[in-house]
Amino acid sequence: MTMMCPDAELQDLIQAMQSDDRDELARADRLIAAYGEDGRLHFLRGSLLAAIGRPIEAMASLKRAVALAPDFAIARFQLGFFQLTSGEAADALGTWGPLALLPEGHYLRFFVGGLTHLIRDEFADAIARLNEGIAVNEENPALNRDMQLIIDQAAGLLRDQARGEHAAGEDGATSATSFLLDQLGARGRPN
Amino acid sequence: MRPASRDPSGLDLVVDPHRAEASLWRRFRFEDDAACRENLFDRYFGLARLIAGKLFRQRNTRRIERGDFEQFASEGLLHAIDRFDPLLGVPFSAYARRRIAGNIADGVAQMSEIDAQLSHRHRVEQERLRSLGSDDADPLTALSELAAGLAIGLMLEGTGLIGGREAADNQPDPYDSLAWRETQAILLSEIARLPLPEASVVRQHYDHGLPFAQVAEVMGLSRGRISQIHRAALERLRRRLTARP
Repeated sequence: MTMMCPDAELQDLIQAMQSDDRDELARADRLIAAYGEDGRLHFLRGSLLAAIGRPIEAMASLKRAVALAPDFAIARFQLGFFQLTSGEAADALGTWGPLALLPEGHYLRFFVGGLTHLIRDEFADAIARLNEGIAVNEENPALNRDMQLIIDQAAGLLRDQARGEHAAGEDGATSATSFLLDQLGARGRPN
Repeated sequence: MRPASRDPSGLDLVVDPHRAEASLWRRFRFEDDAACRENLFDRYFGLARLIAGKLFRQRNTRRIERGDFEQFASEGLLHAIDRFDPLLGVPFSAYARRRIAGNIADGVAQMSEIDAQLSHRHRVEQERLRSLGSDDADPLTALSELAAGLAIGLMLEGTGLIGGREAADNQPDPYDSLAWRETQAILLSEIARLPLPEASVVRQHYDHGLPFAQVAEVMGLSRGRISQIHRAALERLRRRLTARP
């Protein structure tokens, strides 16, 4: 039978993490030695390692957490987000797939939808979905902050693009290089 | 090969460079993804070239060329990539600097008088020539193919265009005519359409200036295979350029 970590010990570890206890990683390792099949512990260890800049080990712990607890939705979301921020967008989408089974209107579904639009450079839709997720997420305020940062950056990018298109319409001057490249484009590439 | 300047993509907004590099190391070291080795090499090639340039300026011999320094630097970079432990928490650049500088020092010290007399450029040209040698029975056709291949090589060499970075040398030169630049631009677009191993060989050999032996090391293939791929790439480019209206 799988031994799960008692809630009290788990809470102690979370408190140690929140209070910036230097011993927190060793604590997590000790608990994992005792309750190695508990996905929550691997998730916390992964979060710790990510925070201290050890991404290779963080990824391994997050993957272990999801393998042990496939229905642990926040761990699955965070693993996908970690993959996305590591430049592994296809893996992220694969990891997030089962989150589509969450109830309609769940904040993680909105976040996954928004980030999927972001990967496809569909910024307006990305912002809309992420905002919808923030509006219904009362469970995880830290995640709302992360998503808000992405919204702000995507909104800035949309503004820049709009300005760029406006400026390009007004300014007819081109550099020698862009002139050449335009010519190349105008010739058309062979089929 | 994306162009150097472009709008950031959605992925660019969220990718953390430290994590993205860790992902390359993880896939190379623990998941046997050989393409990541080449990616890491490309990522740090600029550092190797920078160190080579610095040591070249400080050299106390005139008999060794800059190309030799760069070749030793690339070798040092490859050794560093193969020996680096990404779990130790040391930044790769700090680790690699010492290896690259050390390899240059060793290489220069061991370089024989004969090697030095046979210039780096000459050796690279000989290698390229051997790769392009045609089996065609008709000597005139063979010669014309060889000339076209060498001309393409000359056009690609050191343009800094292939990797999408800024041109290495912006000084005007005898070839800096509109026609020359236009053909170069067409060539660039054709390189982007080459199959992956051919595009990689062209980029590593002409843009990074690596001899075939080193391209072979970077790509994990034999030197003979690199020579074959080089020839196939140049033949394909020649055919496509000839077919253009």
